[in-house]
Amino acid sequence: MTWQTFLFILVAGGAFGYSGYRFSILIRLLKAQKGQANRLDQIPARIGTTILNVLGQKAVLQKKAVGIMHATIFWGFIIITIGTLEQFVSTLYAPANFEFIGHTAYSGLVFIQDILTVLVLAAVGYACYRRYIVRPEALGKSKDADLVLAFTASLMVAILLMNGFHILSASPWYQDSMPFSKMLAMILAGMGFGPGSSHVLWLVFKWIHMFLVLGFAMYIPGSKHLHVIAAGPNTFFKTIPREKGMRPINFEDEKVTQYGAAKVTDFSWKDTLDYYACTECGRCQEVCPAHNTQKPLNPKMLIKDLKENLYRNKEKVLAGKYDEVTSVIDENVTDDVIWACTSCRACEIACPVFIEHTDKIYDIRRNLVMMESRFPAEAQTIFKNMETNATPWAFSSADRGKWSEGLSVRTMAEDPKVDVLLWVGCAGSYDDRNKKVLRSFSTLLKKAGVKFAILGTEEQCTGDPARRIGNEYLFQTLAKANIETLNRYEVKRIVTACPHCFNSLKNEYKDFGGNYEVFHHSQYIAKLIGEGKLKPTKGVDETIAYHDSCYLGRWNNVYEDPRQSIQAIPSARLVEIKANHDKSMCCGAGGGRMFLEEKIGKRVNIARTEQALETKASIVAAACPFCMTMITDGVKAKEMSDKVRVMDIAELVDQATP
Amino acid sequence: MNIYVCIKQVPDTETKIKLNSDNTGIDTAGIKWIMSPYDEFAVEEALRLREKNAGSTVTVLSAGPARVVEAIRTALAMGADHGIHVEIPETADSNMSAKALAGALKKEAKVDIVFTGKEAIDDGAAQVSQLAAEYFGIPCVTVVLGVEYGASLKCKREIEGGAFEMVETPLPAWIAAQKGMNEPRYASLPNIMKAKKKEVKALKAADVGVADSDQKIRFKNFELPPPKQAGKKIAGEPAAQAKELVRLLHEEAKVV
Repeated sequence: MTWQTFLFILVAGGAFGYSGYRFSILIRLLKAQKGQANRLDQIPARIGTTILNVLGQKAVLQKKAVGIMHATIFWGFIIITIGTLEQFVSTLYAPANFEFIGHTAYSGLVFIQDILTVLVLAAVGYACYRRYIVRPEALGKSKDADLVLAFTASLMVAILLMNGFHILSASPWYQDSMPFSKMLAMILAGMGFGPGSSHVLWLVFKWIHMFLVLGFAMYIPGSKHLHVIAAGPNTFFKTIPREKGMRPINFEDEKVTQYGAAKVTDFSWKDTLDYYACTECGRCQEVCPAHNTQKPLNPKMLIKDLKENLYRNKEKVLAGKYDEVTSVIDENVTDDVIWACTSCRACEIACPVFIEHTDKIYDIRRNLVMMESRFPAEAQTIFKNMETNATPWAFSSADRGKWSEGLSVRTMAEDPKVDVLLWVGCAGSYDDRNKKVLRSFSTLLKKAGVKFAILGTEEQCTGDPARRIGNEYLFQTLAKANIETLNRYEVKRIVTACPHCFNSLKNEYKDFGGNYEVFHHSQYIAKLIGEGKLKPTKGVDETIAYHDSCYLGRWNNVYEDPRQSIQAIPSARLVEIKANHDKSMCCGAGGGRMFLEEKIGKRVNIARTEQALETKASIVAAACPFCMTMITDGVKAKEMSDKVRVMDIAELVDQATP
Repeated sequence: MNIYVCIKQVPDTETKIKLNSDNTGIDTAGIKWIMSPYDEFAVEEALRLREKNAGSTVTVLSAGPARVVEAIRTALAMGADHGIHVEIPETADSNMSAKALAGALKKEAKVDIVFTGKEAIDDGAAQVSQLAAEYFGIPCVTVVLGVEYGASLKCKREIEGGAFEMVETPLPAWIAAQKGMNEPRYASLPNIMKAKKKEVKALKAADVGVADSDQKIRFKNFELPPPKQAGKKIAGEPAAQAKELVRLLHEEAKVV
């Protein structure tokens, strides 16, 4: 045994032992979580998404420059680690190396490693430029990041120097496959280093490199750089479909006595994996409508704070003393943080490692509402209205069908043999502005010869606002009543003008026995135009900016149908708001916030309206009743009502269709 | 303390009232029933008083047809401990209701304080608190916004002209709550679940000494108010507008 072997066993054994111990604690913490998450379905899809997003770096590359930087470092580390492994092996047993893969292959490997070492160094340079010169707000200051960058740069420099001195001292046969190291060797030779001193310095830098790697291994478990281990699994275990519903609670199960998350341990193992995977890149923060309007919610900090809460309670969790674990609501994660969320999901879509922020907020809300009756006072009125009149607004359920007076719209009770059920929703039923949208849409359906009916007084709120605010019990009461009605009429197809109803009916009712083919009206209109049943031939000579609804776009990936409907109108000019599609900004009304007061910071709807007004469009097109209300209010507040109108897709197409 | 709350079940505030076939009452078909909102303040005040006095219990009473048990359950879900339902007919008037409630309270071992809403929002009679307190034989303070609890009760009452008065009363006493006394809580889910299993004692009218003759008022003919007219906008010079307004109030509305 050489001194190198001996030293390596000692140092590596210690380092990996310590690192392994720290990882074992992380795994025990993860396994100690009480919540449930089943993420072992759809294995082929999981493998696919992992390949695409880990190896292919797809989500990271949503942002170009920084994505390329990350992909370079990622691939650099993968390939360079092969060399590091080889180094470990040959240190343990000198004759062993990876040259058995063949002369050409080995030359190729060495070549790529050499190139990547320099590219990684360049990428770290860009990262430093960004972090210390450009300084985007979302990155913030981080000692952890400083250290990781220093680590990475030092590793690459050590590799280059090690290889340079190796070439000088040993002239390995593959030296011509290492252009940068070879160049460095020539420079070093020019500086007067001979074979003897080079051998010593090769050894020095080889050991510096190994110490750095082992130090890194010990450092990672306690750092945000834990993402190098956790991001892969987190991608594999992500929620696969874009159209995800909220997780139902089984109220029949008498063993369950805690609803929602009162403590950090009430979340699932997957939530803990989310904390581990977070590398604090701040992409969520950049797109959060709450954060961008000075609300205390910052999705990045939420994840970091929950992680710190878990770490603070580490001893108690590991000892199984769940009773002593402190509340999930603390000085960082306050009630205001939790109530600021509009559930727009911009954070989740932006997240390169698929952290699911909204589920955590929902779980905390569920505990606050159902266990502690602690919520903004306005919500109580909403709940009571929904309980007694099945609508968040104070209107009688007897008046639900009134919007259609004079249109001779039939109810399912009158004629259940229809092509499609028109689900009106509470806004369409009671809100004066949105009643007009429903009138336009039903007129359009008639123009297209579609046989449809409504439920009239039998329709109830889908329960979406209650569910998003955290009142799962009330949601399920309403959902089950609606499903009973829908199934009684054997409803197969539903069309609705409300993306929130659409999302509930399509993605959430199936958990309670309601399976329907559900269309948003923008999809249905696009379909009718496509089939030639609707012919918008009259021109609408206007510039129209389409505002994406979160529950249509980010939650259900419906982006093109509303745009196609507008583009089908002769002489209408569709323009995009700067933030559009996945990057669109919420109007401020999702997540139940439609019904809550907005007391902190700038109003979200004003911020979004300003973005829409920047386009100079004369019409802002909406496809959601809540967006309609919020943007209309925004236009009024900006005193632009005489220049800019807010209209629904259905109204535009109706106007263009003779 | 033995705390009691008397509540009434009423049609929801958004109900479109229809009359029954012979116009002697309202058509109850399809109505959503709720606890009268003023009674929610009473329940909340009782629960808060219990929380401040260890070992206290809150018992909720309601007199009415079988359906009113739902309102009792709502109060139990808010946190009340026991329920008592006195079955009296749908047509009961304030006097019969008051007698039924007082009769039920008389069967209780010890009553320290009784809360109720200042009025029910259906008939808006504001009679039952005073009548029942009288039948039960304790003082009654109505339209109460706040109570200082001690050996006696110092009650802040809202009176005409936007003024307040303080009334002091010994215990036991009957307190009729006004809106603003507190913010009623929303029942937590564990309490909703527990409320389903709590016992509601059922009493018949005869058990509490109530007879048909206790109904003093019989309703003969209800009429719906005339449908709301569209608003009128008076144009012109301020002086002319004022003149026209007075004329309309005098000649058309006949209020001045």
